[in-house]
Formats: sequence, C-alpha cells, structure tokens
Amino acid sequence: MNSSSTPQATSTPTQSPENLVEVKNLVKEFGLRQGFLSRQQTNRVVHEVSFGVPKGRTLALVGESGSGKSTIGLMMMDLLEPTSGEIFLEGKPISKRRGKEKLALRRQMQIVFQDPYASLNARLTVREMLLEAYVTHSIGKNGAEREELAKNLLEDVGLSSTALDRYPHEFSGGQRQRIAIARALSVTPRFIVLDEPTSALDVSVQSQILNLLRRLQREHGLTYLFITHNLGVVDYFADEVAVMEKGRIVERGSTETIFDNPQQPYTRKLLDAVPSFNPNHRKLAPSR
Amino acid sequence: MPLLKVENLRTTIRTRKGVAVPVDGVSFSLEAGQTLAMVGESGCGKSMTALSLLQLVPEPAGRIESGHVWFQDRDLLELTWEEMRPLRGREIAMIFQEPMTSLNPVHSVGQQLMEAMIVHGTAKGKEAQRRATESLDRVGVRPTAMKQYPHELSGGMRQRVMIAMALLNNPKLLIADEPTTALDVTVQAQILQLIRELQRETDMAVLLITHDLGTVAEVADHVAVMYAGQVVENAPVHELFSRPLHPYTQGLFASLPARARRGQDLATLEGRVPDSTDWPIACRFEKRCQYSFAACSAVPPKFQPAEAAHPSRCHLYDPEIERPMRGTPREEQEQAHALIEGGIAS
Repeated sequence: MNSSSTPQATSTPTQSPENLVEVKNLVKEFGLRQGFLSRQQTNRVVHEVSFGVPKGRTLALVGESGSGKSTIGLMMMDLLEPTSGEIFLEGKPISKRRGKEKLALRRQMQIVFQDPYASLNARLTVREMLLEAYVTHSIGKNGAEREELAKNLLEDVGLSSTALDRYPHEFSGGQRQRIAIARALSVTPRFIVLDEPTSALDVSVQSQILNLLRRLQREHGLTYLFITHNLGVVDYFADEVAVMEKGRIVERGSTETIFDNPQQPYTRKLLDAVPSFNPNHRKLAPSR
Repeated sequence: MPLLKVENLRTTIRTRKGVAVPVDGVSFSLEAGQTLAMVGESGCGKSMTALSLLQLVPEPAGRIESGHVWFQDRDLLELTWEEMRPLRGREIAMIFQEPMTSLNPVHSVGQQLMEAMIVHGTAKGKEAQRRATESLDRVGVRPTAMKQYPHELSGGMRQRVMIAMALLNNPKLLIADEPTTALDVTVQAQILQLIRELQRETDMAVLLITHDLGTVAEVADHVAVMYAGQVVENAPVHELFSRPLHPYTQGLFASLPARARRGQDLATLEGRVPDSTDWPIACRFEKRCQYSFAACSAVPPKFQPAEAAHPSRCHLYDPEIERPMRGTPREEQEQAHALIEGGIAS
C-alpha cells in the first residue's frame, strides 16, 4: 500500500519506525476572559495526548464536539501552537521550524476541512489556487508544466480540466470538496488531516468522496488522520480508532476491536447512540 | 381519517433562471400518534413541502399554486394568513435544524417560552412561567436556563429549548426539519428518544424531515422518499428497509458506509438532482438510474400501485410499461436487505 513512500532512516530511538507522525504529551490551553488585576484563567482543551499514525494507514479520531479533536488536527498542521508537548514527522519535531524548513514541512502535511464553502478562497479560480501552491513550493519548471500538473491533478480527483477557470461558488458541495482535496494533494504530501471531510455532504456524495479518498490513499501511499463524529464512516474507512473525551484519548485500538469490544464506558456510550439502520432492532425505546 | 392529508401540493418560486417548482404534486397522509419521515437529498423539496403546509413559503417569490392540506377537517390552504396564526405554534409546531437562528438572541429563554403561550392566550403571568419551567424540565433542561440567553447554551440544550417551546401548547402535529443533524450522536439519541416519549404521552403526530436513514430506522412509522419535488416511494418503515423499490431509494441505501463494505468502493449516485426550474418531462431520476430504458425518458412514471401500501414512481413496477429484458432490481434488493439485517453501522 505504501510502497511509494520511501521511509527515511531518520527515526530517533524514541519513535517506533512504522509511525509517520507521532504526537507526544500534547497539551493545549486557551486563555479565558482576562480582567484587569484578575488572574489569568485557562481552559485546558487537550490533556497530555500521545499517539502515532502508522504509515499508509488511517487513524480515526472520534468523539463529541468539544472533545478536542479538531484542536489536535490544527496543532498537527502547525496552524495552532501547542501549550506543551511535541509533534514528530518521521522522528523530527515539527515545532520551531522557520523559513525553508517550515515550507518543507507544509509540503509534507496538508489538511482538508469540513466546509469547502468556507475553506476555499472565493476570489481565486481553481487554476490560481493550484498555481499558488506550485509557485510557493517551486513545483514544476514553468507555466506550461504547472498547467499540465494542474490538469492531471484535477483528473485525479474526478474533475474535468474545464474546472480550472471557474470559481468555488460555481461548483456543488461534493465538487468543492474534490477541489479542496486537489489543493491539498497539489504539493504531494504524505500525511493529510481530514477534518470531517464528508459531514456537510449528502450520503450519495459522501460515498463518492470516500471512494476518492480510498483510491488516493492506495495510489499515493497517503497516511490519514480522519477526524469525525460519524461512526458509520469510521467503521467503513479507518484502520484504527482513537476515542477522545474531554481532551483525553480514553481508548485506542483497531477499528474492529473498538467497535466489537469497547472497553471504556464512554466508547460504549458513543456506540450505543449510533442509529441501528434496522427498524427491526431499534436502539431507542419503541413508541407503541 | 388521518390527522394530516396533503393532496397534490404544488409550490413555485420565481427565480432569475425562471419559475422553480420545488414541490410538484406532493401527496401523503399522517395519522395521529404516528411519525412520517420524509427523506431525500438536499434540493429535493423536503423543507419547502414543510414550509408550504404552514403557508410559510418565502413571499413574494414563492407561491402555493394548488393542492390541499387537510388538517383535521379544514383545508389549511383555504385559510388566510390571519386565520393561520392561531394554528401555527399551537396546533402545529415546527422545529428547525439550527436552533441558534430560530431563537431570538436578545430575549432570555424564559421570555421566549412564555411569549409562545401569551400570544396564543393559553396562559399568562405566573401560570405561563410555571408551564415554561415545567416544559423545560420535561426536556431535561434545568430551570436556571429560564434566565439564560440562547448563546449561553450548548447546541443540544438549544435544540431542547426549541422542542420545549414547540410542545408548550400541546400541538397535534410537530414538524421537525432536520432536528438532530447539527448535534452529536449522543445528543441526537436523547432528542429522538425525547420526541418519541412525548409523542407517546400526547398522541402527537410527527413529520420528520431528514436525510439520515439511521434516524429514519430509529423513529419512523412510515417513510416518504422525495426526489426532485415529488414523492417517489412511500412505505411503512419496515417495508422500505427490507424491500426498497425505487432505484433512487436503493441507491441511497447502497451508498451507506458499513463494516460489510470495507475494502470495497461504495455505490455512488452519479450526477445530481436536476434543476427545479427545468424538471425532466418524464422520469426525473432517469439520468442517474442504472435501469433506465426508452420509456423512462418519454413517459412520466405513475405513482403506483396507488392504492397499495407501498407505491413507487417507477416504470419497473408498471405492468403496462414494456421494457427490454435485463437484470431485475431484485438482486439489489436482496443485497440491501442482507446488509440491513447484518446491521449497517456497528
């Protein structure tokens, strides 16, 4: 599956070699209202979280809203600074990188958000969006080559090259999510954080995006952190699951283990709330 | 006689592209104490149908062209705006997906709850306050919330407040438009359970609009599947889940992610719902349908068998329509059935 990614011999002894990304003792605190003369109050939303994402696999991060899932995703992308703790990409810490080093990191790690309506720049055509990424990262020798790359990329995510001259508002929700995925893929990353990538979509469109993500993972050897509250999607898509409750990972294991044999009461509570999809075996009390 | 009987409802909206017909000949009925789920993709006309029932179609662009909405013994479409007022929020209550936009941010929860009774003259003063607190208690919200403002509450709490408000005047019909879509599964389960319990206590009927088949399986008695402004299939919930007839319904089931489908591609419904200003003249699903044949683009399919318990708007089930010999939808049905029996999620 991940034969295309060549593991570099840079692993430190503290890191297991099969993880592409590792998170160690990650903490995030946000300051609350700070009044004159009053002591700064902080709200700890991520408590000492540690986990690794195995190369070429999908780890799902599940939990209710406010459990800290997305905050972790943002910190892993270096879009939010952790209060303490560290994130490693192939054994090397991602923090305190500047200039070229930071740029190189951005090429390795990308993120796709839930709402493509909000995450795409409404003033750029698809071409401008992709070219911006290519130029920033010096991908492609000249305009013609970049144009070719952009066309191939769109084809790869199931869009025609006529999309290049259009603006985000001209596309449907599913197509916009394809553009967001193309934008993430444009810099040939190895790790992608998918933050609720199908939650705003109809089921028929959700299935298209899940199929696309699966194929891209297979063909490009991608590693995914899949943040979602949709446990049906997790059961279908993820290799492993980490369950978050109030900023802590309470349980972690293979998808089968977590779904079939949950150990923690919180995990059981989450699973019990998932609708059955079977009117003959309802989980809620029958009405009459 | 059903509590609500909708006949041939047709609603249009003038747009820059022409006249859209988001609701085009919708019929269904709902008995007291029952839940009818209306399902379909975005843009199928579910919400516009609900708004039409209460004459809340955005004016002046929107217009209810024709049809009947029989509620008890009256046709609601014959009533004037003023005559509708005592019904809305009293006999028929509605809750929406995003409670933040339907609650007033500058009034406290208590003021808003009490207002709902005062405008209908069902209670005032201390009595209104007592009933508001009681109603909150019934949906699991502490009485201190009376003095709080909507932004101080979580999404789940806000939706509970909306439900408390909707139920204050003991409505006979509750229209719930995606009431749990914005909520966590744990909160969703609580809200759905709450609606069911209240329904059992008061014999209220519920029209549940949703795109989530899991929610449908949990709470619905009947299901109406909507596609492109029409009801394309109508069945008791057990029937629909064990034997979906319309290719669109089958497509929705086939696209659900499930353990049993790991490592395989999910079925997709390519294409999208056609433009409501320009519905196809014959079958509206034809372009996306794997079974389509000549008649599908020439003759509008009838909703049939119209008198049976499980009608569907598809030529495949019309004995009068000839079609070339090919695979039957039965295989698909059996697959869908096996999957549902095996449990789709978890």
